[in-house]
Amino acid sequence: MSSSDIFDVLNIKQKSKSPTNGQTSVPSSSATNRAKPQVTGMQRELFNLLGENQPPVAIQPGSNFKEKMLSTSKPSPWSLVEFKGNTSVTLRHWVKGSKELIGDEPKESAYSKFDQHLSIPTFTKEEYDSFTNETGNQESVVNEKNEKNKWSFEEIEYLFGLCKQYDLRWFLIFDRYSYNESRTLEDLKEKFYHICRNYFRASNPNSPLLSSLNFSAEKEIERKKYLQRLLSRSAAEIAEEEALIVESKKFEMAAKRTLAERESLLRLLDSPHSDQTITQYLTSQGMSQLYNTLLADKTRKRKHDSNIPENPWMKQQQQFAQHRQQQQMNVKKSEVKESPSPKRTKKQRQEIQTALKRKSESAYAEQLLKDFNSDERKALGVITHGEKLSPGVYLRSAKLSTFKPALQNKILAVLQELSLPSRPVMPSYDVMERQEELLRKINTLIDLKKHVDKYEAGMSIAK
Amino acid sequence: MAPTISKRIKTLSVSRPVIYGNTAKKMGSVKPPNAPAEHTHLWTIFVRGPQNEDISYFIKKVVFKLHDTYPNPVRSIEAPPFELTETGWGEFDINIKVYFVEEANEKLLNFYHRLRLHPYANSAPNSNSENGHNPSSDHAKDAEVSSVYFDEIVFNEPNEEFFKILMSRPGNALPSNKTDNCVYSKQLEQEEVDKIDIGIEKVDKEIDELKQKLESLVKQEAINGN
Repeated sequence: MSSSDIFDVLNIKQKSKSPTNGQTSVPSSSATNRAKPQVTGMQRELFNLLGENQPPVAIQPGSNFKEKMLSTSKPSPWSLVEFKGNTSVTLRHWVKGSKELIGDEPKESAYSKFDQHLSIPTFTKEEYDSFTNETGNQESVVNEKNEKNKWSFEEIEYLFGLCKQYDLRWFLIFDRYSYNESRTLEDLKEKFYHICRNYFRASNPNSPLLSSLNFSAEKEIERKKYLQRLLSRSAAEIAEEEALIVESKKFEMAAKRTLAERESLLRLLDSPHSDQTITQYLTSQGMSQLYNTLLADKTRKRKHDSNIPENPWMKQQQQFAQHRQQQQMNVKKSEVKESPSPKRTKKQRQEIQTALKRKSESAYAEQLLKDFNSDERKALGVITHGEKLSPGVYLRSAKLSTFKPALQNKILAVLQELSLPSRPVMPSYDVMERQEELLRKINTLIDLKKHVDKYEAGMSIAK
Repeated sequence: MAPTISKRIKTLSVSRPVIYGNTAKKMGSVKPPNAPAEHTHLWTIFVRGPQNEDISYFIKKVVFKLHDTYPNPVRSIEAPPFELTETGWGEFDINIKVYFVEEANEKLLNFYHRLRLHPYANSAPNSNSENGHNPSSDHAKDAEVSSVYFDEIVFNEPNEEFFKILMSRPGNALPSNKTDNCVYSKQLEQEEVDKIDIGIEKVDKEIDELKQKLESLVKQEAINGN
C-alpha cells in the first residue's frame, strides 16, 4: 500500500505534482527506491506514506536584471541661462524650461534668499568713546592693567570689518587678521563681545541680547585645554577611564542600595517593635497581600543579584510578560479607582467578622474559666491566648523561634556570650515568652551591627 | 468506645508539665542475668510528671523506639509508670512517642532524647576513660548519670470533653521551691526569667550603643556630604 492508495481512498487529487500521471510515478518511485535501503526498523508501508507528502521545494524562476525603462513622455527641456548674482562676473546655471519660456534677461537665483548677512553694529570713534566711557569705568581699570593689550580704535574698526566680512566665522577672521599686534583668537572674540555688550547697553540697557554676549577668554582657553587633553588621550588611558567609570557606577549603585537599606533600618529602629497581632493577614485577602509583598520583595532582591547573562529570548519574553502584567495592573488600578468603596467595605466587613468571631470564641473560653482566678488558672495550666494558633498538641520548647542557619548560628553565639543556653532549662510559658523577646532583640542587634559595619565600611571607602 | 467528636475550645490552651530523660548507672560485676556481656550500663528512660504525679489521665501510652540492635526495639509502655529499663554500652537517640487518651482526640507527640550514659567531661574532671570500658576506682564513675529535660505539653484548643478531664486535676502546680528530688519549681522558673532578663538588658544596652553610633555616623556623613 502506498500513499497514492490513501489519496485514492480519501478522494484527494495530487495537485502539487506535474500534470501527467506517468511523469509523477517515475520520479517518486525512483525516489522511494533510492531511500529504501537507508531505512531500517520502519514499516515499508509507513515509510511510503512519508515520502510523497513532503512539500516540494519551490524554485522561483526569474532574472536579476533591472527592468527596461518604459516611458512614453518626452523629456522636459532644460536651458542654460545667466542669473543675477555677482556684478563682476557672469554666471550661468541650468533652469527647467525652454529658452523661450524663461526669457532673455537674467533673473535672481532661487538660492539668493539664503545669501544672508549678520548685522554687525557699526559706530564712529565718537560713539565708541562715549559708550566705552559711559559703561566701563571699572573695565577701563582692567584695561589699564594690561597695557600691552590696549586696542586702538583703528584696530577695533579693522576687527569689526573682518567680522562683517566673514560673518563671525572666527577661524577665518583669526586667519586673516594681520594688524600690528599679534592677537589670539580668544583676544579677538573677547574684545568683540565686550564692545558689543557695551554698545547694546548704551543703546538699550534692557536689551535681551546682553545676556548672550558674555564671553570669558579665560574660560574659553581652559575649555580648549580640556578638550586638547581629552582628545590627546592614548588608547590605554581611554580604556582605563572607561573601567573607572564602570567602577564608579558600581559604587554609586552600591551606595544607593546601602542607603535604601539604612533608611529602612532607621525606620525599623524608630518604630516600636512589631508586637501587633497578625489579624490583618488572617483573612484570605490579607494573606494574598502579604504573599504578594513578600514575593515582590524576593523578586526585587533577586533582580539586584542577577548579573548572569540571560537567554536574550527569555529576557524578551519576560519583558513582554511584564509589560502585559503592568498593563493589566493599570487596568485593575483604574478599576479600583473607579470603585474603591465596595472592595474596601468588603474587606473591612470580613475583618470585622473574624474579629467578632474571635471575640465570641475567647468570650466563650473566658466563660468556661470564670470560676478560676489567675493563680488557679496558672496552677491548672490554662491560658486564653486570644490568638489564632493551629489546634493540636505540641511541646512548648518545640515552638521556640528558629532563624535562617547563618543567622541562627550568630544568635547562638550571642546567647553563649551571654552565658545562656539555646534551650531554656525550664521552657514554661513565662520563660518562653522572655526567651522569645530575647531572641527578637538579639536578632535586631545582629541586624543593627551588620548595618553599622556596612556603614563604616562605606564611610572609609568614601574617604 | 469510639471517641466522640466534640467541639474544640478556641483561643484556649492547656499545658501540662512533664519531664523526660534517662538515668544511667554503671554496672559492676553484678549484672542482670539476661544482659549481654558487652553491656556496661544499666539505664532507665522515662516520661513522668515533675513530681511523679499521675499523668495517665491524659497520656494513654508511651512508645520508646530503641536502637535497632536491641531485640524488639519498639517498646510500648501502656500503663504508668512510663519508663523502660535496659542495659547497654552506647549512647543513641531514643524516639519517644506519646499517645494521648482517646477523649483528647489528639495526634501523638513525637520527639527524641539522646540517651546519656557518661557524665559530662567538665562535671567529672579526670574522666579520661569516658568510653567506660576501663573500670576505674573513681567514685564519680559510679555515680548515677542523669539527663533530664523539663518541657510542657501544650494542648492548644482542646475539645470540651478533654478540657473537662484536664480541669478535673490540678495538673500544673509546681512546687514553689527547689528540692532535691524535684528541681523544677517556681523558684527555678523565676531564676530562668531573671537570667534571660539580664540577657535582654545587656542586648538592649548594646542596641542602644549601636544606635547612637549609627546616628553619629549618619550625622558625620551628612556633614561630610555637605
